[in-house]
Amino acid sequence: MNRFLKFVRLFVIRNIRMEKFLTLLSILGVALGIGLFTGIKTASDRAVAVFESDVQGINPYAEQEIIDVSGIDFHEGIYRKVRETENDSFPVLSVTAYLPEMADTIYINGVDIVRMSGFLKGAGPGTKGYADIFRKIDGAYVTRRFAERYSLGIGDFLNAEVYDGKYRLEIVGIFERRTLPANLAIMDLGNFQEYFSKTGSLSRIDVSGDNYTLEKIRGLLPPNLVLEKKERIIDNRKALLKSFRYNLQFVSFISILVGIFLLYNTVFISVVKRRTEIGILRGLGAGKKTVIGIFLIQGLILGSVGSFLGIILGQIFAYFSAAAIGGTISAMYRAVEIYDYLISWSDAAMALMLGLFVSFAASAVPAYEASRIRPNESAREGSFEGKYRKFLGLLSFAGLFFVGLGSLVSFIDYHYTPFDFPFLSYAGILFIITGVTLCSPFYLSTSLKVSKKLLERFFGPTGKISGGDISGNVYRFSVALMSVAISSALIVALLTLIFSFRNSLREWIHRNIAADVYVKPSSCVSNFCFFPLSEGVVEQIKQLPEVAAVDKFRTLSIDFRGRKIVAGFGNPDIGRTYPGEIEPASPYGGAPPTGRGRTIGVSKYLSIKYGLKVGDRIEIPTPSGNRKFLVRDVFSSYSTTSGFIYLDRKYLKEFWGLDDSTQLGIYLKKSADPESFIIELKRLLLPNYSLDIMNNKELRIRVMSIFNKTFSITYAIELISIIVSLIGVVNTILALVLERKREISIIRYLGGSWVQIRNTLLVSAGLVGICGIFLGLILGSAMSIILIRVVNKISFGWEIHFRFPLIPLFLISGLLFVTTLGAGLIPARVAKRIDPKRFISFE
Amino acid sequence: MLKLDNVHKSYGSTHVLRGLSLTVEKGDFLAVTGSSGSGKSTLLNLIGGMDRPETGLISVDGENITSYDDERLTLYRRRQIGFVFQFFNLLPNITVFENIQMPLLLNGTDNKEKVQELMGRVRLSGKENSFPYQLSGGEQQRVAIARALIHNPDIILADEPTGSLDTRTGESIMELFTQLVSETGKTVILVTHEHYISRYAGRTARIRDGLIQ
Repeated sequence: MNRFLKFVRLFVIRNIRMEKFLTLLSILGVALGIGLFTGIKTASDRAVAVFESDVQGINPYAEQEIIDVSGIDFHEGIYRKVRETENDSFPVLSVTAYLPEMADTIYINGVDIVRMSGFLKGAGPGTKGYADIFRKIDGAYVTRRFAERYSLGIGDFLNAEVYDGKYRLEIVGIFERRTLPANLAIMDLGNFQEYFSKTGSLSRIDVSGDNYTLEKIRGLLPPNLVLEKKERIIDNRKALLKSFRYNLQFVSFISILVGIFLLYNTVFISVVKRRTEIGILRGLGAGKKTVIGIFLIQGLILGSVGSFLGIILGQIFAYFSAAAIGGTISAMYRAVEIYDYLISWSDAAMALMLGLFVSFAASAVPAYEASRIRPNESAREGSFEGKYRKFLGLLSFAGLFFVGLGSLVSFIDYHYTPFDFPFLSYAGILFIITGVTLCSPFYLSTSLKVSKKLLERFFGPTGKISGGDISGNVYRFSVALMSVAISSALIVALLTLIFSFRNSLREWIHRNIAADVYVKPSSCVSNFCFFPLSEGVVEQIKQLPEVAAVDKFRTLSIDFRGRKIVAGFGNPDIGRTYPGEIEPASPYGGAPPTGRGRTIGVSKYLSIKYGLKVGDRIEIPTPSGNRKFLVRDVFSSYSTTSGFIYLDRKYLKEFWGLDDSTQLGIYLKKSADPESFIIELKRLLLPNYSLDIMNNKELRIRVMSIFNKTFSITYAIELISIIVSLIGVVNTILALVLERKREISIIRYLGGSWVQIRNTLLVSAGLVGICGIFLGLILGSAMSIILIRVVNKISFGWEIHFRFPLIPLFLISGLLFVTTLGAGLIPARVAKRIDPKRFISFE
Repeated sequence: MLKLDNVHKSYGSTHVLRGLSLTVEKGDFLAVTGSSGSGKSTLLNLIGGMDRPETGLISVDGENITSYDDERLTLYRRRQIGFVFQFFNLLPNITVFENIQMPLLLNGTDNKEKVQELMGRVRLSGKENSFPYQLSGGEQQRVAIARALIHNPDIILADEPTGSLDTRTGESIMELFTQLVSETGKTVILVTHEHYISRYAGRTARIRDGLIQ
């Protein structure tokens, strides 16, 4: 053991110390990859935790809850019967409130304080606090974390937008329990009902009991109510975010691949550079295992240091990702604010394990190669790379096999969709990357042959030396090339996805956002609102002389084949009478659901998920029992990832017994000026209601802004990919400089100037850059097709028309090329510090 | 004419050259001998413009090269100096032909016929597309000699050119080398510690304690 440690000290630690900069670059590459992955994972995990936290609420023991099938509040009358059957049941009325001064949201729960007192222990001010929460109609408890975040104390007030009104809450107590969701406020149920005009309403009843009791309760419930396991509700919410979460994690995982290349490169270079040393060691009797051990340990040391640094970086990324991920979830599903973005011990352990695995994977091959060095090999320069030259063709065949396999696997996913998550497509992308990696030495060597004459013509000796350097070290340059190619591919794929998506969304907006003015409650920050507007709002709007028609839109959260989906109820005739810029293509925009019987429009997501097509009959649960509908249309919807159905409002009244609305689309008479109308509307409504009133253009801008926010994290991933790939280029060329000190010295002895040497390195960097970017364009295009046509379709059900962003890609490629060239300048500076005499005269 | 006058050079606390003076006429073939560490290679580096003396003067055809800046020294080396090394020091990733051609390219010229002709003279015809690692030691040194001559420099500096070769190959290399430099009338300064090599030179100088004896 001691002997081995001595070996490690002599041959690993010393080498690391000698090549500080190269080592640092590799560590940084691994750290960025691990950091990005860990940061995004942490942020999305926390988002899920927040997303599901209010299901658990303040009663951790309740396993079931009674809720309305459509996710709306229900009459409290049932509670008395439930309590008679099971005393251990607790009524809750809840709402999401927006706090404009803090730009934050809070979940207000109205509970039976006396009955819940067991769970409210340690809630701050003791008896006086309880007294205040009963005595003050606007009295609320907030959590310690929330109070600390905004420096709030008992007696302070919160201005909140609740439903479509403005309210003030007085903090009368502070919860000390840290396990509660941070953004939670508790009010007395009676006060809640009275203060927010929700008398007689409940959102849910938390229940616990044995199977017999639960069955008994189930028997008591009217058709509009169901008893559901909280666990199932949480699973449902997790499933909603699954695609969003894992897609982000997969994309960030690709950055780790670049990290693997960096580490591989560093260990490989170490092997090549120290072949004489290895030869001597072998000659002295060192076994193959010792040599393998030396390089594996070198890789593992770099990997573990990189992982530790990655965990720190991951914490920073998690902080910034949390806002972006929170924003996307808020837009798509419901308001969430992520404040807990600390990397947990388990995440840190996972990052470390991943880093160690990555470093093992990256150093295993070079370590094995090192063990194959024969004692006499050290004398023959160039033989190391040279002996693998003959495998170029074989590797390329293997590469083509993997590319074919990746394409086949993705096609199977596209055509047969065997899983509800695009596992096969992701595997396909990884296969294609593997295949392209295996083909890259052949590609580079062929590119070089093609461009040799051109290089020599334009760059003279510089071009000749660079060409020679690359063709003599084609495997190592392929590693740098793949760093650039993978990063470029990631950028190309994401950019194409975003560009195509943006264009498809624009078309959708043109088709569907047709009304002149839109109104929704300010408390609603998501694409769909579930709390209805006061009837007074609708009535006042209808009476205004400028109004031609009002499209009362209502959304409900309904159960469809075991999953929660969004049901939208509107008036399709209004859309047809007042079309947008283009004749509406989807029922959401107004295609009338004509035909015999009850008709319905379903989103692409549902069509993909359940194989629904026009003409199918589907059953929808309603408070008046299950009802069958004929699928009249399959349409694109970008508002949610959970599936969306569109129904005529008349069914809302007929089967749900509702006639309210959550969002309004107002169509004005031709003579009316929308701007003056909005001013008038605000003057009329805003003193009494808290509403968002937007004109058509503002809504379009808001939709695009949500889109941009959704993809903001993607831009961050792109940026980090570029940084990692640049590190890859610097790493490779720097390694080349360090290894080729002697060649650089020879050129100096032959009269080559530093400028010529710098240019040689720049030409090498430029060539790797161009070849890498070009390969990245091809790889990225393939990835973008899979992402758009398969991954996106299976994950989100969004129909995206493929558009290649020619100009942005041209600009980005140019920028990448320039930065790659810039990356060549760092090794050039290092090269200038070489003392040629050391490597020539005193050999 | 090459002239070194009272040249001092130290590396740290080690005084390698202690006021060395030397004059080499155009076309001279000077063999410099001396024990290891006596300053032979340092002398070549100073003449080749790879290093500067602390004090003293080095002039080539009346030009004081110690006053040159880095850029001018590079140009001087590129145009007027040809190096031959003990370990050949060929660029491993370019072909034999390209190795020989390199000084021409660095000088901004290209004369493939000349390279071809010189390859013939160093008996390397047919090896144009070979890489250095595919050649024997003697062949590699012949490439190095051709490379040192291709751009027609005034001075050839050879540092132990036969040091890595067996005696027989070393002698054949020296014969070829002597023949080529005498035909072209080059000034040669050859550093060696092998006595048999010095017989190829017209003149021999020995360095001891940093001075020519």
